[in-house]
Amino acid sequence: MLLCLQYSKEEEARFLSHLDLMMAMERAFRRAGLPLAFSEGFNPHPRIAYASALAVGVTSEGEYLDLQLREELPPEVVLERVSKVLPRGLRVKAVVPVTKRKQSLMAVINLARYRVEVPIVQDYDQEIEKELLLQEVIDQEVIDRVIAQAIAFPVYLVQRQGKKGIREVNIRPGIRELTGQIRGRKLILEMAVQTGSSGNVKPEEVVKMVRARSPWQLGENLRIHRLGLYIYADTQVWLPLERS
Amino acid sequence: MEQWKQVLEEEILPKVMKPLRYQGNEYNAVKKDWKAVKLRSLFAFPDVYEVGMSHLGLQILYGLVNEQADYLLERVFAPWTDLEEELRSRGIPLFSLESVKPIAAFDCLGFTLQYEMSYTNILNMLDLGGIPLLAKERGDDYPVIMAGGPCAYNPEPLVDFIDFFVLGEGEEVILEIYQIMAEHRALRQGKQDKKQLLKELAQVNGVYVPAFYEALYDEKGKFAGMKVKEPGVAPRVAKRVVKDLDQAYFPLRPIVPYLEVVHDRMMLEVLRGCTRGCRFCQAGVLYRPVRERSKDLLVQQAEQLSKNTGHNEISLTSLSTSDYTCVEPLLREVLNRFEGRNIGVSLPSLRVDSFSVNLAKEVQRVRKTGLTFAPEAGTQRLRDVINKNVTEEKMLEVAEAVFSEGWTQLKLYFMLGLPTETLVDLEGIAELAAKVLAKGREILREKGSKQAPKITVSVSSFVPKPHTAFQWEAQDSLALLQEKQKYLRSKIKEKRITYNYHDAELSFMEAVFAKGDRRLGQVLLAAWRLGCRFDGWSEYFCYEKWQEAFRQVGIVPEQIANVPLEFTTPLPWDHLDSGVKKEFLWQEREKAYQITTTGDCRFAACSVCGVCQDLDVAVSLKKGE
Repeated sequence: MLLCLQYSKEEEARFLSHLDLMMAMERAFRRAGLPLAFSEGFNPHPRIAYASALAVGVTSEGEYLDLQLREELPPEVVLERVSKVLPRGLRVKAVVPVTKRKQSLMAVINLARYRVEVPIVQDYDQEIEKELLLQEVIDQEVIDRVIAQAIAFPVYLVQRQGKKGIREVNIRPGIRELTGQIRGRKLILEMAVQTGSSGNVKPEEVVKMVRARSPWQLGENLRIHRLGLYIYADTQVWLPLERS
Repeated sequence: MEQWKQVLEEEILPKVMKPLRYQGNEYNAVKKDWKAVKLRSLFAFPDVYEVGMSHLGLQILYGLVNEQADYLLERVFAPWTDLEEELRSRGIPLFSLESVKPIAAFDCLGFTLQYEMSYTNILNMLDLGGIPLLAKERGDDYPVIMAGGPCAYNPEPLVDFIDFFVLGEGEEVILEIYQIMAEHRALRQGKQDKKQLLKELAQVNGVYVPAFYEALYDEKGKFAGMKVKEPGVAPRVAKRVVKDLDQAYFPLRPIVPYLEVVHDRMMLEVLRGCTRGCRFCQAGVLYRPVRERSKDLLVQQAEQLSKNTGHNEISLTSLSTSDYTCVEPLLREVLNRFEGRNIGVSLPSLRVDSFSVNLAKEVQRVRKTGLTFAPEAGTQRLRDVINKNVTEEKMLEVAEAVFSEGWTQLKLYFMLGLPTETLVDLEGIAELAAKVLAKGREILREKGSKQAPKITVSVSSFVPKPHTAFQWEAQDSLALLQEKQKYLRSKIKEKRITYNYHDAELSFMEAVFAKGDRRLGQVLLAAWRLGCRFDGWSEYFCYEKWQEAFRQVGIVPEQIANVPLEFTTPLPWDHLDSGVKKEFLWQEREKAYQITTTGDCRFAACSVCGVCQDLDVAVSLKKGE
């Protein structure tokens, strides 16, 4: 049977690479004693298919994988057994059987939401002392204007390293939503961007776009958190679990 | 959160290589409440995480100590150079993985001494932790620092830095040591009186406190023996040894690294010790006698390990697993149980015989890897000298079996610079490799295989080690070792034979620190100040810096490594007792020069090495159970 698992990669696991995460998941499924299905061939590996890879340092509260089992098991039993044996920082949040979906997660997921914390290294106007509350209102107006201007252009080109050297990609059409807030010494950006085989926008690239127009000097140490992965279809945004 | 921790989390870890090396969030890692325990200790591995986490001894002690309610044991590894740079430039102390506490905050630190070339990392780690390097400069407020492992059998080069050493098998003695340390602190409101504590510890069998001994030198400055200077301290310290491996503690919930480490698998320790009696081999002496673990217990442990780790491979570890008297039934049972779960089995060490090839064939049911054998020397004469019980016929029999069973690659280990070696022996290495290759070609041709066989010849340089029959031998001079490496290269003509050899300069330094006395502490300090660290890693080993360090201190390393010793020469490790008598070792040395072999006491008569008699242990084989 095929199950779809929703899981999170939290603070304590944020430095896992995708490869580390795959190994950690396989080991957890083995500890849980699940009847894993294996691929054929000389070096069989468990049939686990991931929706999307998360980079080292990036956390997420909405990741997905498809897990093939040799025997039928109620999803809630799988959830319970796996939850008991996951390492710190990894958590399975939901398990549903895959009944309708014929394609892989990777093929259907096309939208990702992120929250990115960007440190503010230097204020744009340090000379005027303002009341804190008032400052926040002003900051909000400024950041709203910066974002509005940035997305007003239909084109924002970024350079990407491809197999045949560097190529330029217009990421602007892939940015579906973008908002910003100032919280203390941080700019918090929330965004919904295209992901998957149809085109991929990296949150770092969106930060770059904002950075170019920001009156604040923004730092380099980003904290990127994925809020979720979604299927945009039939003019609606779906959770992968809803279309499994 | 303290500010440095925040900087570490947010600025440093995201930019260093493999930040998972420095986080203790792995499955089965134990995080204890500091306030709830009586003793806070730290296992310090003087190499990088991936090496340290492959070490079974770490898992044994970590599990054993953390299962005690009153103690905690955390981990620290040598930080890679990128993290070191960050820590130094920001003044952040080296920290433990589990609780991210500065290493100086612990009550005691224990370093494991697996190989000599990790010594500078010990100094570097102490320094990064803000702990004075010299034991005599560390007051009562600093953690007490101990060390154990194979190099503790001649720890003299480290005595300036380490408060006490533990000889032998740690699981046998560690809780005694901890109890003394915990009680000592309990009586003093959580503080220690270091001198008094060391006096108490010196009463424990297996504990060596170097400050209570004085090294004597003759008028020429040669080492002349060791004198006890503290009343009530034993003149000799003997190793501790587990009597019954079935009763010994074994960790069934080992830490499962997130990061890929060198040995990423479950480790089943099938036996301890090896009495094949190779005369160059230190482990063969230190871990005597042979003690096997019962097959049924091993199978049980495998089941639990599998449940608790989720690893997909089981390694049957020991110094020589094909010698385990129940290896076939064990292998059969483990394979049958785990094959359906796609869990493979691996054998790390193979004896040169077709029995071992059959075992290897069995385990390849799941995964196929290359095979490695160690004939060690190129001629029968020299193999008899070193007591390596391998003949050319056996080697070719093995080659036949290996290639018949479908392998096309074979790796052969040899040692160069062994006592009595001549050019004929070097030529013998090339000839043996060529014969094995020819056998491979013959077999593969008969099978109609399109693949050509490939042989790798890997050659290390002989390092005379304390407590072996060759402890009195001189190592070949550096120039001669390098000359021999070149000569061997000229003798290997086949394209299908890959020849590689170890850095002779590294082997030279290894011999110096294996055999050296207390005066080498000054050299270590000088070398570390010159920037030496990770010397076991060829990309960091810098021979010129070591030469400079020896010059600065005024010690001639050649006088340590390249000079033969007499039976009567006082050795810096004479006061440290592996249980094997010096007379036995000398007799073995004599037999080497007479080209006479000695049988394995498991199968032949007792060779009276002394370990069973002196340490009240016995060879324990499980056959016939």
